[in-house]
Amino acid sequence: MTAIGNHSRPVSAFLGAAPERFREWIMSRQVHLIVFCATAIVIGAGSYGLAVGIWRGPWQALYTGIKLPLAILLTTLGNGLLNGMLAPLLGLNVTFRQSLAVVLMSFAVAAMVLGALSPVALFIVWNTPPLTAGTTSSSPEYGLLQLALAGFVALAGVIGNVRLMPLLRLWTGSAAVARNVLLAWLAGNLFLGSQICWVLRPFIWDARRPVEFIGPDPFQGSFFETIFNAGSRLVFS
Amino acid sequence: MNDQNPLPPVSAQLPPPIPPVLPAGQPRRLGDDPSERLAIPNVVVAIEAILRQPRRVMFQLRQPGAGHLIAMMLSLSVVCSLIYGVVVGTFSGGVQLWAAPVKIASGLMISALICLPSLYIFTCLSGSRARLVEIFGLLAGLLMLMTILLIGFAPVAWIFSQSTESLPWMGTLHLAFWFIATIFGLRFLEAGFSNSEARSRAGLNTWVVIFLLVAVQMTTALRPILGTADTILPTGKKFFLAHWGACLSAENNAPASRSRN
Repeated sequence: MTAIGNHSRPVSAFLGAAPERFREWIMSRQVHLIVFCATAIVIGAGSYGLAVGIWRGPWQALYTGIKLPLAILLTTLGNGLLNGMLAPLLGLNVTFRQSLAVVLMSFAVAAMVLGALSPVALFIVWNTPPLTAGTTSSSPEYGLLQLALAGFVALAGVIGNVRLMPLLRLWTGSAAVARNVLLAWLAGNLFLGSQICWVLRPFIWDARRPVEFIGPDPFQGSFFETIFNAGSRLVFS
Repeated sequence: MNDQNPLPPVSAQLPPPIPPVLPAGQPRRLGDDPSERLAIPNVVVAIEAILRQPRRVMFQLRQPGAGHLIAMMLSLSVVCSLIYGVVVGTFSGGVQLWAAPVKIASGLMISALICLPSLYIFTCLSGSRARLVEIFGLLAGLLMLMTILLIGFAPVAWIFSQSTESLPWMGTLHLAFWFIATIFGLRFLEAGFSNSEARSRAGLNTWVVIFLLVAVQMTTALRPILGTADTILPTGKKFFLAHWGACLSAENNAPASRSRN
């Protein structure tokens, strides 16, 4: 068995690994695996962030390139304890470190997909009409950019979780337990991840503010409240 | 590729699969598995056991000297609920930083104490042969598992506490976390109950409804837990549905304020 870091082509070895190999890595070489996954997240999600932020300018590209991996790592750490508790309660006997490694691995796959899609994202950004004084948050070009870039993130997330499912099924020996664990982790990570992204906003552009790392009111409101209020306005107005 | 880092076979390092909490068909007897007979000497082992080997906790509750384990589980429940209470208190700050933890911990313990007699009677009516101390231990296990899980939710709760000013939103979020944690706690209780030779689950199911109602009413009886008020404890009496309704309508009339019950 070879640790992931010792492979001559670690990315292809990681992405092409069978569930049995993933389990071997998690059981034996956690430090190597965690370092590799964290690096993949920083590079993959970081390059996608750069491509997204460049629409506004180089500083926004740098900030988004830092914030996107940061959001993923904070979500993994913030939910680490909860995910580690939920796994055995739902029938998957893993330690906290192992559950952290499994979740990190799933995010690493998603980040690699994002990294691979960053040239495409850059192409979309390049083809989008540039930001002008007349651009507003309801401008079609901004909406299209948001939609396309969010679509890529969703696609990468789906692929990351699809890769995780066979590993969980192998580990538990039960498709139902694997599905429950995956759904519980997914729900928790989506819930916290959405709010962390909300705190770290803006990722693309804030029409009212100059370029800055985090907006002036990071802890003002929540992602879900905003969605709920917007939905309420749509329904009741 | 050559194997550069020889390691023992993975199968030797794999932890044993977790047996289902509620086994289908004929249930195994507690203690059939030798690992279930291992003592639970300290808090760390107790946490590990309730998460990974709940049957070990159930077996130990039937042994002489189970009082030590019960005391340990109750103490841990108090500590965990105090910690989660601090997170709840950060929403309003000030007095609530100490009042919310005290109210949550005491509310949880009082709710359990109020419901213990009915749990014992209902389990007896169901034909269970569990002794009162075992039932008390299962209830302590429920509280411990519930509060440990609340600690797991604490980072998420904290980030939302800092982000929103909406009292109903935070109240709903804490209730959702409490509800999820309670479901896992009740699963533990039901698993313990299924090993007590009970003929029917109707009694336990009835008790679950009573326990949930008592717990949510306790949040109203000890209000404010999340927001603020002139007095630490309420001056009037309210049913929890009326209280929640009042909070929602107050939010709609004057949004973005924490200065309400």
